[in-house]
Amino acid sequence: MSDRYTILIIDDEEVVRDSCSQILAKGNFRIHTAADGDSGLKMTEEFRPDLVFVDLKMPGLSGLQVLERINRFDPTIVTIVITGYATIDSAVDAMKRGAYDFLPKPFSADEFRLITRRAVEKRKLLLDAITLRHEKEVIRENFTSIVSHELKSPLLAVQQNLYVILDGMVGELNPTQKEMMERVKNRVDSLLRLINTWTDMTSIDVSELKKRFKPVDIPALVSKAVEVFQAQAAAKNVTLVTDCARSVEPVNGDEGTLLEVFMNIMGNAIKFSERDSSISIKIEGGDGELHVSVSDKGVGIQKEDIPFIFDDFYRGKVQASGAEMGSGLGLAISKRIINAHDGSITVESEPGKGSTFTVVLPRETGKSRTHGKEKVAEQFAIWRSD
Amino acid sequence: MNGKRILLIDDDPDYVYAVKMILEKANYSVRVSYSPKEGYAALQDGEFDLVIVDVMMGRGAEGIIVARKLKKDRELKKLPLLMITGIREQTGFFFIGDPRHETFLPVDGFLEKPVNTEVLLNKVRELLHSDQTAELKQEKQGEEP
Repeated sequence: MSDRYTILIIDDEEVVRDSCSQILAKGNFRIHTAADGDSGLKMTEEFRPDLVFVDLKMPGLSGLQVLERINRFDPTIVTIVITGYATIDSAVDAMKRGAYDFLPKPFSADEFRLITRRAVEKRKLLLDAITLRHEKEVIRENFTSIVSHELKSPLLAVQQNLYVILDGMVGELNPTQKEMMERVKNRVDSLLRLINTWTDMTSIDVSELKKRFKPVDIPALVSKAVEVFQAQAAAKNVTLVTDCARSVEPVNGDEGTLLEVFMNIMGNAIKFSERDSSISIKIEGGDGELHVSVSDKGVGIQKEDIPFIFDDFYRGKVQASGAEMGSGLGLAISKRIINAHDGSITVESEPGKGSTFTVVLPRETGKSRTHGKEKVAEQFAIWRSD
Repeated sequence: MNGKRILLIDDDPDYVYAVKMILEKANYSVRVSYSPKEGYAALQDGEFDLVIVDVMMGRGAEGIIVARKLKKDRELKKLPLLMITGIREQTGFFFIGDPRHETFLPVDGFLEKPVNTEVLLNKVRELLHSDQTAELKQEKQGEEP
C-alpha cells in the first residue's frame, strides 16, 4: 500500500487553505483544496481523499451538511472540523455527524501537524481493519470449499464403489462380507453427514441470511418438517401431534434455514423418544411473537448437560438407544439460525420424562435492533465500503 | 446392449469407475470424459442419448458452465442432462427442494452423490423416456400442418 495520503481542505477562507497547504507541503501528502462545500463534495467523490478538513461556517452548504454527506459517501474517510466558534455544542454536533476530530481556529502549525498525524493513523487503522476483515472472509470461504471438495470427494468415490459392491453388481457377497461392507458404508455415511453439517454451519452468513428474509408461514413450515419425519416416527410407533392456534400471522424470516431448525428439533425429539410414545408440537401466537414448542416423552437431558447443549460439537451424556451418535452440531446451528432471526431457542427437560424445545420468533425481525441503529451503523461503517 | 449411449463427464476416476459399472450392468453404453474439454470433444464426434455431468471439476463449479453451454446449443440442448454433485452449498442453500433453475442451473435432473443404484437407474430411465416422448411430440407436431 502506498503511504502517500490524499488530503482535502474545504474552507472558504483563502488564508486558511494556503497556510494549511504550506504547513503540510513538506509531508508526504497529496493536497487538494476547495473553497466551498459543493466543490469539496465533488472532489471527494472524484478522488476519495483519505482525510478531509471541513470548515463549519461557510456560505452555501454548511460544514455539518458536508460532513454528513462525506460520511454517507464513504464512512472510512476521516473528517476533521475546523471552526472559528469552538463550543462544546458544535463539537458534539460535528462528532455526531461522523467527524473524527475538531480543530479550533486560530491554530498553530504544530497543532495542525499533530492533528493530521493522528488522523492519518486513524485512517490507516480503518483501512487495515477492512483488509483484515476481507482476508478473514476469503480464508473462511476457501476453507469451507476446500473442506467440501477435498474431504468429500474421496469419501464419495469410496461410497459409490461400496454401493456397487453391496448391490451385488460385482458378484454375490457372503453374509459376513455383506455385514462388514454394511458397517463400512455406515461409517462413511456418518462421516459424510458430519462434513455436510459442518460446511452448512460455516456457510451461514448472518448478514447474507437477513437479505433473504420474507414472510414465512410457520405452521406450513412445521407441517412440512412433520411430513419429513412421519416415516421415521412410524418406525418407532411415535405419534406426532400438532396443535396450532387458529390464525397465526407470518413471520419475517428465511424459510430454508427455519425449516432446517424445525427438522433438527423434530429429528432429535424422535431420536430420543421412547417407543410407542407421542410428541406434541404447539404453535402459538403471542405479543408480537410466535412460539413453536416440541415436547417429547423421551430420555430427557441431564441437568449438567443443559447449559452446553447449544454449543458446537457438544453431545449429552445420555445418547439415544439404538440411534447413531449425533455430530453435536445440530442444535448449535439451530441456535445460530434463530439468533439471526432475533429470536430465541430454549429447552426444558427432566431426565427420564422428556424434553421441550421452544423457538420464539419475533413477528418482524429488526424491530429490536432499531434502538441501537446508530451503534450498528457505526460497526458496519468500517467494512461497508469493501 | 439396450442401445442407449450415455456420456459421463466427471473428473474423479474412482467415482466414475463405480457409476460406469452401475450403468454398464444396466446395459447402457458409457463413454467417460474426465474434463469439460474432453466432454465437448466427445459431444462433437459421438452421438449420445443422455449426458451426466459432475458439478465440481477443475478449478471450480465447471459443471454448471457445461450445463449452461449445452443448453444454449441449438442441437445439444435436446439431450437430457443429469447433474450429479457432492457439493450442496454451491448449488443452493441447504439444498432443500429442487435446485434446478432454468437459467442458473439448466438441467433436466439433479442427484446428490453418493447416488443409490436404484435411484440413479430410475432417473436415467425417466430422462431417456421423457426424451423419447418429447421427440414423439415433436414428430407429431411436424406432421400436423
